[in-house]
Amino acid sequence: MKKLLYIFLLVIIGTSFEACKPEFESPIGEGTYTSGDADFSKFVAVGNSLTAGYTNGTLYKSGQANSFPSILAKQMSLVGGGEFTQPYLDDDTNDVGGMNFSSNMILPQKLIINASAGGPERINKAIGMEVTNIHPGPYNNMGVPGAKIFHLVAPGYGNISNLALGAANPYFIRMASAPNNTVIQDAAGQSPTFFTLWIGNNDVLAYATSGGVGVDNNATGNLFPSTYGFNDITNINVFASVYSQILDELTANGAKGVVATLPDVASVPFFTTIPYNPIPMTDQATVDAINNAYLTYNGGLQSALSAGLITAAELAKRTINFSLGANALVIKDEYLTDLSILGLPSIRQATDEDLVPLTAKSIIGHPVSGNPNLVYGITSPLDDQWVLTADEIAEVRNATAGFNQAIKDAAAAKDIPVADMADVMEQMKNGIKIDDGSTYTADYFNGTNLDNLTFGLDGVHPNPRGYAIIANEFIDVINMKYKSNLPKVVPANYPTITILPTN
Amino acid sequence: MKKIFMILVLLSFGSMYAGGYRVALQGQRMLGMAHAGLSVFENTETAFFNPAGMVFLDKNFSVSFGVSGIMSNVKYQNAMYNIAAETSNPVGTPFYLYATYKTSENVSLGLAVYTPYGSSSVWNDWAGSDIVNEISMKVFYIQPSIAYKFSNMLSASASLIMAYGGVSYNKNINRYLADEEGNKTNAQLESGTIGGAGYALSLAFRPTDDISMGLNYRSSVVFDGKYGKATFNNVPTFLSSRLKTGAFSAELPMPAELGVGMSYKPMKKLLLAFDYNYTYWSIYKELRIDFKNGLPSSVSDKSYKNSSTFRFGAAYSVNDQISVRAGYYYDQSPLTKGHFSPETPSLSSNNYTFGLGYQMKKLAVDLSFLYVDGIERTDYTTVRGEGPTAHRFGGTYVSNAIIPGLGITYSFN
Repeated sequence: MKKLLYIFLLVIIGTSFEACKPEFESPIGEGTYTSGDADFSKFVAVGNSLTAGYTNGTLYKSGQANSFPSILAKQMSLVGGGEFTQPYLDDDTNDVGGMNFSSNMILPQKLIINASAGGPERINKAIGMEVTNIHPGPYNNMGVPGAKIFHLVAPGYGNISNLALGAANPYFIRMASAPNNTVIQDAAGQSPTFFTLWIGNNDVLAYATSGGVGVDNNATGNLFPSTYGFNDITNINVFASVYSQILDELTANGAKGVVATLPDVASVPFFTTIPYNPIPMTDQATVDAINNAYLTYNGGLQSALSAGLITAAELAKRTINFSLGANALVIKDEYLTDLSILGLPSIRQATDEDLVPLTAKSIIGHPVSGNPNLVYGITSPLDDQWVLTADEIAEVRNATAGFNQAIKDAAAAKDIPVADMADVMEQMKNGIKIDDGSTYTADYFNGTNLDNLTFGLDGVHPNPRGYAIIANEFIDVINMKYKSNLPKVVPANYPTITILPTN
Repeated sequence: MKKIFMILVLLSFGSMYAGGYRVALQGQRMLGMAHAGLSVFENTETAFFNPAGMVFLDKNFSVSFGVSGIMSNVKYQNAMYNIAAETSNPVGTPFYLYATYKTSENVSLGLAVYTPYGSSSVWNDWAGSDIVNEISMKVFYIQPSIAYKFSNMLSASASLIMAYGGVSYNKNINRYLADEEGNKTNAQLESGTIGGAGYALSLAFRPTDDISMGLNYRSSVVFDGKYGKATFNNVPTFLSSRLKTGAFSAELPMPAELGVGMSYKPMKKLLLAFDYNYTYWSIYKELRIDFKNGLPSSVSDKSYKNSSTFRFGAAYSVNDQISVRAGYYYDQSPLTKGHFSPETPSLSSNNYTFGLGYQMKKLAVDLSFLYVDGIERTDYTTVRGEGPTAHRFGGTYVSNAIIPGLGITYSFN
């Protein structure tokens, strides 16, 4: 009996040791992930706010922690990626971003949703970041919020003495390794083995978000960026030439990398959240009163037609008519025939070809100087800055297409793969179905899907979940081109927008 | 009675390792031979396996008690995202207590108290936390039976089943929601003690001294939990008025099971047994939790399918005192593709059993050992509860369990 008992116990103990823990046929471990033909030991990310991790209207500490290059670097660290540094933000003690210059706010805090008020607003906490708090780089993350392409090669862009002139950038001032170094000097100077380059958004975005108040330098043919205004569109030839120059410098030491295309501005919720016809009318008396107010203007248009000043098509386009139901905004449009000799303003109702920026939300439907008979968008036409008209959109799209062609040409010449972020961000607006089967959208004012949002509250920049989706796209392109195997990330594990009970 | 009830609750701690949340550890003697006891009418354990067999027992009175220790492990990985996790399950200790009594030549009475279902998974801060952090289900059955012998070849029995149990379940609200300090928001669901009732019917057939056959049907029991309590932890301030402690109701089914078995003695000292169990798991369609404080119902699609278990066991009597036993069984997972959830990560498994029995004059001691080798499976489940769209949570799972057991039996005439 004893013998049998010993044998029995031996079987138990033997099996228990042998099978202490179950094991996979191919467990995740050494060799699961590979770098392929790429060398991730020195990864440098070059770009603008999208590279910096800017979201919810500013750059703040926890946003930067989830920048797409930071997400990428963590994955690369599995296969030989080295340390990844990001610009100093330790003075952002409240995690609210913004920026002070000599204790005066020059950039505001992050946007949050105040549940007691309903809408997005700037968080009511003190800014800690200060332009003069300079911590010279270079850093692996060379994303500079606000930078246009030519800024990357502009000496003095990080020199604080240029700030008042508008020729320096508060973020780059803080991170430049020397005041007169260019962004690209600081990036290429690190001899990256791998890079991402995503630049050019601001070369068209400022024009668009300002409602097209700047100048389209593709129309003017102006090739001198130093003369450009802040809201101007960069000339495509200038863009192409600077882009090639940047790519030359980044690949000078044989670095591999990936570049990204620029989204169409119509792909960001900043322009797609407010419809062209956001004015509901439920009362015939109000409709009549409004139409009455435009009798003189509509009549004047008839005279202009009779005088041959405008075509019948323009007459139809300009005639203002309100009715019960949803009504289009009344807007100023500088592209209409100038009828000031007849005393007629250049106004019309918006169509679905016009885009209304998110910022117009604060004035549409509000009375002008408290006058109830003069209401923005209805009886008081919206200024140019509140509408991106069809003609302005055409300028923006023309430039974007030109920039993207330049990006693809330059990349092809260097055998660098292109991540099509234009396409990805279009999907991020319309609904992007990600690997785990869930769909993310930019529909962020319906209030029920905070978990599946791609964009932050500024309507232009992704939120950290959106940046995770972008990181996954970069990973796909890198794995495909360089035969590497980097794991992807789960967007839902990253923060969405912030909701506070009060502000 | 209440005291006994409490002791039972404390003891009955099953750990998930078999098909669904079935815990098939209802007798150390039979477990030694693959738990194939439907046609083995030689000991008290038949009060569970096939109460009709009680009339064929040698002794007039017999009682047995046994307990097992379940040490189970489940591992998860998903190479696409470089995520991996494993359970740190507590040791489960399911038990049984059987008594049989021959009131006359033709009638026997039996009482079986056992833990047929149970589950315990503890996942620590892992990628599937919105599905489960911790779950523990404790179920025990009290089953009185009466058996009648029609002839020396045939008997039948009928049993009542009174079932009691409870479920404790903790999961995160979703994958990211956290309080202001970053602690994930989670829900703790406590069913309290819930119960249900059912029945069992069985037939025992002994055409010759060397061949036995048995059939047993145990009905389903639906636990109707009306008075569950949900509490929410780490709730962010902006949701504190919504995620409040409240009541919930939920139903949890224990499936019906049909078994047929046959045993054969090719020689006097050797017993071979084969059982086939068919479990009606398709009753588990969904887990629906209805909150009574205005929160939307939580519904997870289970879509279990009926499953089969094939058992082959052997016992060899070395002498009048000593028996050695061994067995193998294949246990099929009832989880269907696309509904593989880590709260009950049930894999199909190959199972190996060993047993050793020592019979004294009135007392017998039995040791058993079961090794469960879960078959690796890559699958996913669809998780709702994150806004308008659902997401899939998938990966590869592998599991095993090591289960030693000890039983004692006391019999006399």
